[in-house]
Amino acid sequence: MALPQSLRTSVTPPELELIASEQLIDIVPLVTMEKTAFISGAYGPLRPPAKARVPLWIAVNLKLKKKCHIVPPEWLSVEFLQDRLSRETSNPGFSQLPFQFAEISKVILDIASDDLENPDKIRTLLKDIREARQSKSREGITKLDHSELGLSGLCSMEINEIRPFFIKGMNVLTKLIRDPEHPPNLDET
Amino acid sequence: MVYLPPPQYASASRPSYAEAYNKILATHRRSPLTSASSIIILVAPDVDALCAAKMLAQLFKQDDVMHKVVPVAGIADLEKTRDELITHTELHTLILLNMGAILDLPSPEWFGDYDPQVTVHIIDSSRPQNLATLFGAGENGDRIIIWDDGGAEKLEEERKAWEAITLDPEPDSGEDSDMYSDDGPSGDEDEDCDVDAEGDDEYGEDDRPGKRRSLGESRQGSRKRRRLIVLKRPHRLSGEQREAYEARLEKHYMSGTWYGQSASSTVYFLSTVLERVDNDFLWLAIMGLTYQYTTSRISRAEYDKYHPVFYDEVFRLNPPTTAGSSATASLHPDDSSIRATDELRFLLFRHWNLYDAMYHSSYVASKLGIWRERGKKKLSGLLAKMGFSIQQTQQSYFHMDMDLKRQLQSKLEAIAPEYGMIELTYPSFMRLYGFKSHPLSAADAVEAVSALLDIAGGVRMEVEVEGARNGGEWFGGGKVWEAPDKVSSEERGKIALGDESEIGGNGGELEWWIRNFWTAFDALTDINRLREALLLSMALHRAIIRQGSSIIDKQDIKSMRGHRVVVLTQGPDLALFAHPGVLSRLALWLVDALRDRTPGTVLSGSRSKRKSLPFVVACLDERAGTYVVVGVTAALDFGDTRKNEFGLAFLDAKERCNARTRHSSFDTSVLEINKDDLSIFLETLCEGG
Repeated sequence: MALPQSLRTSVTPPELELIASEQLIDIVPLVTMEKTAFISGAYGPLRPPAKARVPLWIAVNLKLKKKCHIVPPEWLSVEFLQDRLSRETSNPGFSQLPFQFAEISKVILDIASDDLENPDKIRTLLKDIREARQSKSREGITKLDHSELGLSGLCSMEINEIRPFFIKGMNVLTKLIRDPEHPPNLDET
Repeated sequence: MVYLPPPQYASASRPSYAEAYNKILATHRRSPLTSASSIIILVAPDVDALCAAKMLAQLFKQDDVMHKVVPVAGIADLEKTRDELITHTELHTLILLNMGAILDLPSPEWFGDYDPQVTVHIIDSSRPQNLATLFGAGENGDRIIIWDDGGAEKLEEERKAWEAITLDPEPDSGEDSDMYSDDGPSGDEDEDCDVDAEGDDEYGEDDRPGKRRSLGESRQGSRKRRRLIVLKRPHRLSGEQREAYEARLEKHYMSGTWYGQSASSTVYFLSTVLERVDNDFLWLAIMGLTYQYTTSRISRAEYDKYHPVFYDEVFRLNPPTTAGSSATASLHPDDSSIRATDELRFLLFRHWNLYDAMYHSSYVASKLGIWRERGKKKLSGLLAKMGFSIQQTQQSYFHMDMDLKRQLQSKLEAIAPEYGMIELTYPSFMRLYGFKSHPLSAADAVEAVSALLDIAGGVRMEVEVEGARNGGEWFGGGKVWEAPDKVSSEERGKIALGDESEIGGNGGELEWWIRNFWTAFDALTDINRLREALLLSMALHRAIIRQGSSIIDKQDIKSMRGHRVVVLTQGPDLALFAHPGVLSRLALWLVDALRDRTPGTVLSGSRSKRKSLPFVVACLDERAGTYVVVGVTAALDFGDTRKNEFGLAFLDAKERCNARTRHSSFDTSVLEINKDDLSIFLETLCEGG
């Protein structure tokens, strides 16, 4: 890979976005298309104005050519996010959010913000949610020990953030636990 | 041949824009040799064509169609491009924007020789259109399609006249027909008429419509003739009928040039039919229309004809949300909507201070006589009456008091009529840019883009840095304007020669306008570049005012038999005015400024009896040793236009005095003439008409 050393330890966010683009999403197509076979499966037919369920990458492609409108998923709305935010700030645990919500919401806000009813409010809510969860995961890291770390409810991007530090930290801790008298040479890890 | 009626006249049997577009797509998808040069868009260097090209390119991109945009400077360039393109085998669609309507395109010297697969579409706002291109039928003519705005429906009479004359030319109409003998078809006849055609070509320069017409007709006539010999000779037209028809055709071609629907409006209507419009397209179309109006190509009445269409579109695409909010404040950070406003006639007034804006506006200049001290005092007096202190008017517009800004319009309407300035506003549009930047009006956007087109490169312009006045001179008064980033040469095919090429003057000169073209093209949708270009435009206008005022002061305007003639041979900005675009602006400014002070005249050679103000401005280009001459026929009333007869007048005069000239742009009223021939040329021009 051509990435610099520092980025090789984990997956980069654009790659996560690509993976998340496999998710199915509803669109209202403006053009007709027969059932077409793609590498990942067959999608279609598209019959406007009926809604169709296609992967996000097809939706993005069509939207950029102005050939469809994206129907935002139910969780990408002000009420849902507001509710989750309040849960986030009141409970110590992580609230339930779709696994790839960060990637999907970024893509939709970038290209189809005109299909959402209140894109600015949604952006601020998402930012608040992210900050709340980030502070929680930081606290959780302090409880890192050698055998397990239970942080349930984390989402794809957040896991990716923690992963490099988490792996290294666990490695070191495991070695320390295994042989408390003779601390190993940490350069080997 | 075919002319496409606009969508409102379309029916099952009369295809319109959308069908033509779909055919282009179908041809593209069907042909095996498709590559980026299968569809080529030739674009003339004016703002309207640029907007249309941008829209078309976007439409093609959305349909995954590969295409190429090629800028073309003038008729000579078009000929060169035509010769180049005939060798391309994968070409199947050619689109001409704002060029070529006057040319006889089905004839072999233009596109008659091309492969029958190639279709040529012409989206041109200049009129009159060549009748052979409009009405010529047959498998050759069918390939050439003019996208019309409904004007061709009214040309029934001309159509009859043209068809009659074509089918049955007189035996002695035009010297070339004499060469055709009545012997059977033979190859020699073709050679003969070719030779003669070439002779005729040099004689009647670039686009003398009359000569072209008879050329096209006699060639078709000869073909028809040979065919007719085999059949029976139909009855001939009677003498007076023929004369009536010919007079009709004369009138069509010889009454001067004017402009119809802008190319960007045409492409916009196409996108409406395809249901693919959005705010960007609408804004580009508005810019095209505003360009036509601010450069006096269409009259106020015609502008008012198209304006409601766009007004409705604006409201369709930008539904007004809250009634109470200020009309021009962005509602949210990504607001990129368009609003309708009333635009004041002052140039770029939101970017200057108020005093400057009024000073540099040609309308105010003419009413108040700005170039004299008395006029300047009048202007300050007007501002004082409206309640603006001198300090306020010298403030950049954005730093003016809020309440003054709001009252500006109403106060102007109250007080300006005292000075004879009525009709200070016209309805126009404004685009918001969210929280990124303050809103931009259509007229300002047009000014910025045309300044880029004219002088983005090739001329050293000093622009004023904000805050440089009133004590800021210590920090540097101005800086030389530079395009924000040089376009990388790999992206644009024609600039392959590189920026630092020292290839003779010709190579260097060819590059500057192509670079300007692409700078302007990129800036069309980029607000940051537009903002920078506004500075350039202000510097340009300052130069124009300087020159214009000095001309009027020194009374450099000679009057020759009803024409007003100005010749510029010296001055600080001479290199700047050697550009035809800038010179045309100067001419328009002078016309506006002197409109009320000069009596209208009727040109003796002209067809109409209406009075007009013919103006000719010439500027010396020291480097090339030529004069650039621009002719403008203005109307007596502000906001009105006249057909510009200088295209024909120039050609006439040129033939009569054998001057060495060159038409370097598509506008027939602009030409370059050898230095020594200028005075003879001007005399011939003025005595003739």
